[in-house]
Amino acid sequence: MVRSRSIVGSIVHYVVLVAILAVMVGPLVWMARVALLDKTATLSPDSLLSTAVTLQNFIDLFTQSGMARYMFNSLFVAVAVTVGNIIFCVMVGWVLARHRSWFTRLLFVSVVIVLMIPVHIVIIPLYLICLKGGIYDTYWALILPFLINPIGIFLARQYIETIPPSMEEAARVDGASEARILFTIVMPMAKPAIAVLGVLAFITNWNSFLFPFILTSSESMRTLPVALAMLQGHQAIDWQHLMAGSTLAVLPVLALFFIMQRQIVSGVTAGGIKQ
Amino acid sequence: MTSRRLSRFLFASPWVLSFVIFWAFPLLYSLWMGFTDYRLLSRSGPEWVGFDNYVALFSDSDFLNSLKNTFIFVIGTIPVTTVIALALALLVNREFKGRGIFRSAYFLPWVTSMVVVALIFTNLFQRGGYIALLAQMVGLDVPTHGFLYDSSTALYSIMAMDVWMAVGYYMLIFLAGLKAIPDELYEAAEISGASSLRQFFTITLPLLRPVALFILVINSIKSFQVFVEIFVMTKGKFDTSTVVYFIYETGLQTQFKFGYASAAAYVLFVIIGLFSLLQFTVIRRRQPLW
Repeated sequence: MVRSRSIVGSIVHYVVLVAILAVMVGPLVWMARVALLDKTATLSPDSLLSTAVTLQNFIDLFTQSGMARYMFNSLFVAVAVTVGNIIFCVMVGWVLARHRSWFTRLLFVSVVIVLMIPVHIVIIPLYLICLKGGIYDTYWALILPFLINPIGIFLARQYIETIPPSMEEAARVDGASEARILFTIVMPMAKPAIAVLGVLAFITNWNSFLFPFILTSSESMRTLPVALAMLQGHQAIDWQHLMAGSTLAVLPVLALFFIMQRQIVSGVTAGGIKQ
Repeated sequence: MTSRRLSRFLFASPWVLSFVIFWAFPLLYSLWMGFTDYRLLSRSGPEWVGFDNYVALFSDSDFLNSLKNTFIFVIGTIPVTTVIALALALLVNREFKGRGIFRSAYFLPWVTSMVVVALIFTNLFQRGGYIALLAQMVGLDVPTHGFLYDSSTALYSIMAMDVWMAVGYYMLIFLAGLKAIPDELYEAAEISGASSLRQFFTITLPLLRPVALFILVINSIKSFQVFVEIFVMTKGKFDTSTVVYFIYETGLQTQFKFGYASAAAYVLFVIIGLFSLLQFTVIRRRQPLW
């Protein structure tokens, strides 16, 4: 009796799980299906079952729109910001992990404050700072403000605190400079934390819309999400091309998600606030 | 020794600079701007006007409407997101084959770009789109121009999309909270014959309270700032404008009223602060459930 009930129970459990799975993944499947559909096909719910596949929409995006440029912009900005985050967050996180003084306490308070500040408050001032500082509508505006971020510092500090400082002290006795200790001892030891904050920085900036949108104006400076949002609403664009562009925006994140899922999960559950 | 001290300051300087230039200064800058009449094209530069912007905001029907929509968005999505996230966490918390696959799949929408999600759902919400079709199947009326182009459904449709996108993320945080509950508590409850429903209300729920508080606070800070999906899906039309959309519209889109937009930003800033404080006090004070 009990046994058969538990089998029924687990069947029900799986049915529920699979139904939710369909709801959660369905929209992304639909995106990919539409992206691979011929542009002359009329969209209808039946399109999901169609087996016809074409890459023409992707080819069109690269040959007839600035897709290559948008992707380059997104990649360039996301990589630059990620590299900056890795170097600077570990640097600051190391200082915070190894020293206790009024200075580091103040630093830590500032990190926590920024973690909680709603970013909408800096939209107008950041726009004006970039405008007056002469970096509006340049890569600098998309990179400089984001080179270091509180979540990265937080993650780096937390991880470095768990490592005993003996190696660093030994190197210091041998006469190594602080910079040398940072780059040859701390960085390699902090690799797990670097993986977490790096992948988080990359995904956040690759997906980012708000700041790339308000800090640029020319078409050649658009990142992929900005370009997609701008394409929408144009009479000339159809769903097939829009979804093809969306697929291009999702694929790198999807790849990272499969390779570094553990790091992504530990990063978003530890640092939480930003996205 | 002094060179060590020096290097410490040097290594901390990227954050100090970033904090001052991109956070502390902007915070004060926009506070000051909120008290000035400052437009892009005004020749005289910012002019001190005291509380004029704030007074004007509270008789500006566009602002009040965006405030109303923002509250509908926050109060409507947060309880739903939290309850579904908890349900999902309980669903995938037990041991079973393929657990990892389901967890990842449920979390997947969160790592997708909001612009992409908004584009996909713009398509799904259209008349003849998938969601419209499903709604018709269960007997719901679909507005003539689809869910997004009708004032009675647009905001709620966007809210539903946001719930879809966020539940997997908060599920992960609940899962971390569930993992921290010691098994012994359930074993003891089992021995004393407590039903699983009773175990849920006397063990699981009370011990998840700190996690729930964290989720409520970060979700409300985020939800009060809803913008991207509004921009992509409706451009603030069909009664979907929110406060951040209002800030964008008045500050950066056409009018470039920096002072006015900054004042609006500060109103929202204060609301978010009060709301977080309220959540802290309410949840901290509540008597234990058992």
